[in-house]
Amino acid sequence: MSMKTKQPVVFEIGWNACIKCGACVAVCPQEAGFISNFDTIAVHKPCDIACMFCEAVCPVSTITHTLYTPSLSTQP
Amino acid sequence: MQYNMPDNTGTGIKQEFDIVVIGSGPAGATTARYAAANGLSVLLVDKKQELGAPIQCSGAVSHNALEQAGVLPSPEFVQEAIYGFAIYNAKGEKKIIDYREIKPAEYGTGEGCKPLGYVVDRRRFDRYLATQAERAGVTIWLKTEASGYRVLDDGSCAIDLCKFNESITVKAKVVVGADGVQSQVGKWAGIKTHIKLSELASCLQFVVDGVQTDGLLEIVTGNEWAPGGYAWVFPKGHGYAEIGLGITKTMCAENAQAYLDHFLKNSFFKERFKNCRIVEIQGGGVPLAAPLKTQYADNLILVGDAARHVNSITGGGIHTALSGGKIAGEFLSALLLSGQPATENNLKGYHDNWLKAMGNNMWKLYRVKRKIFDTADVLQRDEQLYATMSNYFSPESEYKKI
Repeated sequence: MSMKTKQPVVFEIGWNACIKCGACVAVCPQEAGFISNFDTIAVHKPCDIACMFCEAVCPVSTITHTLYTPSLSTQP
Repeated sequence: MQYNMPDNTGTGIKQEFDIVVIGSGPAGATTARYAAANGLSVLLVDKKQELGAPIQCSGAVSHNALEQAGVLPSPEFVQEAIYGFAIYNAKGEKKIIDYREIKPAEYGTGEGCKPLGYVVDRRRFDRYLATQAERAGVTIWLKTEASGYRVLDDGSCAIDLCKFNESITVKAKVVVGADGVQSQVGKWAGIKTHIKLSELASCLQFVVDGVQTDGLLEIVTGNEWAPGGYAWVFPKGHGYAEIGLGITKTMCAENAQAYLDHFLKNSFFKERFKNCRIVEIQGGGVPLAAPLKTQYADNLILVGDAARHVNSITGGGIHTALSGGKIAGEFLSALLLSGQPATENNLKGYHDNWLKAMGNNMWKLYRVKRKIFDTADVLQRDEQLYATMSNYFSPESEYKKI
């Protein structure tokens, strides 16, 4: 897993391991509202910053990502 | 029961308050309580259905902190009384700071004595604080999420809320962002609130059965167990204990879960932990960061974790949230009752009051923390952290009041 990528990514959360701690949102440099309905970083829209800090800080490493490909992804 | 007034303003605004507080944790509920007790009309909203849950906190708070914020220790939320500390270095050598022995006339279980502090159940504690606010006259709406605010021409602001799926816009002179470590309210005003990866401790704790404790907060330092943080064993009442740790992710490769597993299985406590059974799992992001340099904007202030009011040596945030909330509530009532507008310039007074009462000391603590964790040599860093922690909790500490 590379820590940095320049391409936009879409995050995925393994909800089974997520402990709803909020660390991913606290470290996220996105503007207001880049959150899911479960108080994690957003999973329904691409992240163009792709700093991966959320993945790094997650105490249980339950955040992963795929590269954003507009044709395959659902609209934000 | 509150009923919404009919919308007769033409702006979608249904109700008006002096202040709207977003987030009913210790900071928000305390801000709301002091503001209402001093004569303001206050709406306190929280998107949760149960305050304090899911727990993201170990729950340690000093008796002093509760007393200063007008909160009586109550069996409703106290899980266990605390009388001191045991600080360990990486090898398991310890310094015990037991106030039952240092100041036996003041601290202990005997008559006229009091505990040094408590481990509280955040679910019960946050609910208790909200109840105290409600009894002081605060209107509380649960299941109410705030999505934005805009400054109005008359010098007030409109806050967009969603309460049980119903969109409601309320008007207020000031919106208080008390929305915790994941704060969005500050971002509404363009304040950069996110915490650097190097300054957000990634924390995990287990509430366990089968681990003996003795009224002390036990703190284990050392890069081996918790790089960029520390591990802890706290009494949790009724025979339970909390075992947890916080790490700084820029200082290690593994996650908090792996470090906690390592601490449980391989540390000098491994025999003690051998038969422990996990009954709850909790985690959190704790800002070991500097307080925000700007905690106010037009019609808006931030308190508690949202303003990074966290002790960056201990990671403690309840005391700082209660104290900051009291400062905010008292300041806002004085400002608004005097008829002055809630401009950025006027709200700076809150930040100035906070700096004077506690912020300047928190900045000092932050610099101490930075100096320790910026030390490249691991052994030196471990020694510094052990010495600093041991000193911090001693009766001679200059930071005792934070």
